[in-house]
Amino acid sequence: MCESCTPFLWVAMMFLKVNGRTRDVANEWCDESLLWVLREHLGLAGAKFGCGAGVCGACTVLLDGKAARSCLFAAREVESVEITTIEGLSISGSLHPVQRAWLEESVSQCGYCQAGQIMSAVALLQSNPNPTDREIDAALDGNLCRCGTQQRIRSAIHTAAKLARGGA
Amino acid sequence: MNRRKFLLAAAGGLTVTFSFGCALPVIPKRPRPDLSDAASWIRYASGRYLLTVPRVEMGQNVLTAMKQIACEELAIEPNALAVEMHSTAAIRRARATVGSESIKDFALPLAQACATLREAIESGAGTGMIVARAIPQEALRSFARTARFVGKAVAVEQAREIVTGKPLYASDVRRSNMHFGRVLRANASPELRSTAISMDELAAAKVPGFVAIVRDALLTQGRSEGIGIVSRTPGALERIEAALAIRWQTETEFDQSTIHQAIDIDRRTINGGLSNKVHRETLDLTRPWDVDIRIDVPLAAHAPIEPRVAVAELSGEGRLEMWVGSQDVFYQRDVIAKRLGLGEQNVVVHGMRVGGAFGGKTICTVELEAAALARASKLPIKVQWTRAQEFRHAFHRPPSSHRLRARVRNGSIEDWSHQFASSHILFTNAVLPPWLQRLTDFIGDDGVARGSTLPYRALNKRVEFDLARLPVFTGPWRGLGAGPNVFAIESAIDECARAANVDAVAFRLRHSVVPRMSRALERVASAANWGRALQSSDPAIQRGRGVACGVYKAMSYAAVVADVTIDHGRRTIRVDKLWCAHDCGRIINPDQVRAQCEGNLVWGLGMVLIEELRVAQSQIAATTFLDSPIPRISDVPPMEIVLVDEGEPPTGAGETAIVAAGAAIANAIRNATGVRPTKLPLRYEYLPPRT
Repeated sequence: MCESCTPFLWVAMMFLKVNGRTRDVANEWCDESLLWVLREHLGLAGAKFGCGAGVCGACTVLLDGKAARSCLFAAREVESVEITTIEGLSISGSLHPVQRAWLEESVSQCGYCQAGQIMSAVALLQSNPNPTDREIDAALDGNLCRCGTQQRIRSAIHTAAKLARGGA
Repeated sequence: MNRRKFLLAAAGGLTVTFSFGCALPVIPKRPRPDLSDAASWIRYASGRYLLTVPRVEMGQNVLTAMKQIACEELAIEPNALAVEMHSTAAIRRARATVGSESIKDFALPLAQACATLREAIESGAGTGMIVARAIPQEALRSFARTARFVGKAVAVEQAREIVTGKPLYASDVRRSNMHFGRVLRANASPELRSTAISMDELAAAKVPGFVAIVRDALLTQGRSEGIGIVSRTPGALERIEAALAIRWQTETEFDQSTIHQAIDIDRRTINGGLSNKVHRETLDLTRPWDVDIRIDVPLAAHAPIEPRVAVAELSGEGRLEMWVGSQDVFYQRDVIAKRLGLGEQNVVVHGMRVGGAFGGKTICTVELEAAALARASKLPIKVQWTRAQEFRHAFHRPPSSHRLRARVRNGSIEDWSHQFASSHILFTNAVLPPWLQRLTDFIGDDGVARGSTLPYRALNKRVEFDLARLPVFTGPWRGLGAGPNVFAIESAIDECARAANVDAVAFRLRHSVVPRMSRALERVASAANWGRALQSSDPAIQRGRGVACGVYKAMSYAAVVADVTIDHGRRTIRVDKLWCAHDCGRIINPDQVRAQCEGNLVWGLGMVLIEELRVAQSQIAATTFLDSPIPRISDVPPMEIVLVDEGEPPTGAGETAIVAAGAAIANAIRNATGVRPTKLPLRYEYLPPRT
């Protein structure tokens, strides 16, 4: 049972800051991983379950702007953290440059890992707006793709860097 | 409204039950799609068209390809056509999405049905159903050079939903009051009989979120008893499992050496020939061979990033609704209806986008678990396998062991012998009990044989194989037997070219009996500037080039050139670049054929340099991707794809290039080091010390 998140029995819950909104989390979900809370409690299905051990990267989200594996954090550990999921990337219907680049390069095959790839790419471009192939490989090496879209991920990140530089 | 009334599917699976209580497994039905099927795929109402795609979408982007064909024939813009995945209630029975045959077998009837509908609308037809006409291919717009959508790059269906994180997959399905389930099994291969002998149900019941423990014969997989647990939240399943602390009893034991010995080709051939013949000419076995190599390929996992998942919900009227990530939606319906004793009309299965399948999501496993738990708990249930369950309860690419021998005289292959041993693929032990599988020993297994036909001229050929049931589950994996078989053939052909002292491309062209394979080879040789020597001034670095080619299912053709670097300082083998020429006839969507080629090249790279599933303590040893790695972005080199389309009828692209990719890399390593890779995966540390 989660101790930090039961201030009152009748409102037993905690709060998460997800994509700029405060979301209620019911008491029985406080001991769940952030991934399960996002997917099964809050209905944000973008981050995916792939391994549950932080090895595949399919569940990648941003915690205070840094790429993190949401399967490795208990929800209550990130109560005071700004959580960004892929659902929060586009602003009023206009896609993030990384999302646009993913469409331009037709990256996705099955698509299951791509939300995680995109979130890792967003984090990379925030700290390094013009990465080399080698820097892309280093940043995305923990995001597995079984379909074989790696070459397109690389070129989409270069495209996204250009789109971001060119504005809108 | 124009629509073809869709017909209820034909009668259900086999229902014979034997006196010893062993039911025959449900065998997947594989009807050839025809015109009346196709009429159930397309509907028109008040200016809007709806295409219900009879194929499963798992990344080949077949939704897009079929939309291109439909728009072409209907002469409409893509935004006038809505595309949906199929459920068992929406269309007539469609066979499994396997074998790279969606375009080959479904493009023509789809085009005919859509063209008929266009004609009917143009002639002012009103409401009702129309009978699709067998319009000849040459009269259809999709197959003409003047096509507007076919052969062009178009917006990919569901791509925007993917990059914005919309729910598309079975794992994304949420139902009101949905609970979570898991089926616990012994730490042993499901091929071994295992039973629970004790468990702490009281401790489990105290875990917050606990709902139920389910014991049901339906939860038995193979010969492994399953104990079901149901919880209110997914994470609670781990805690319930720990508290339950089940003790298991398991019969017999095996380890890695059991697998090696069962398929060791040299042990198999001690007593003479093997039981299944592909080429059966008589060879002179007394004279020495010019080429004599052995190739060993290990077990490997499909490793889709989406672990198997299903959602099941029983309604008050005894109807069951399911959402699955399966390559065969109707087969799931058949198995669930039979095993739960429901009529087919009472089970509706929705096919969702699949997060990677590669031949692995073809049988009924997690679907039955979800259905049984939903029935027992009377709750909507989602079951998604853990990564460890993916490795340990799924079936895998069988290991295989090959002995290849050849004699080369005056630059030509005189005698060719390829003997190999493997385990079942189409007649998988994950579905068939031993007694039933033994019946297949008389007819072989086309999945294991795939790709073993020699595409080269040789005076005398002997190609034969043995099948051994292994204590781990084996079955279809991308390309089935063709990946390992063509890898073995193309390794030996490379040695033949060396024995003949002829250039590897020239030798293949001289011996090829498949003109379209030769054409692909010529195209890739030209793209890669074959013949250019690779230089290395650093003594710690060796560089090499290799080539390989192959045919998939006598319909698609590929040739690959690979450049590799062996860095003895860093102790690494790196692939620097891959070129691939690919011919699948008329191309519907060039960019997505290219994507399939890229995927196949990465799979070939993984097969040769990375992938292996080891066995220990009577089960698959791996529980995470760290134990059974797959290629990472840093392993993947630049790839250049050359598409060949000279107008032949469209075939398939999903599994072709894998046959050539692995061998091209292996042949490049041979070229760089002088060492023939014979045991996969080849890691730097397996190379013999440099002399």
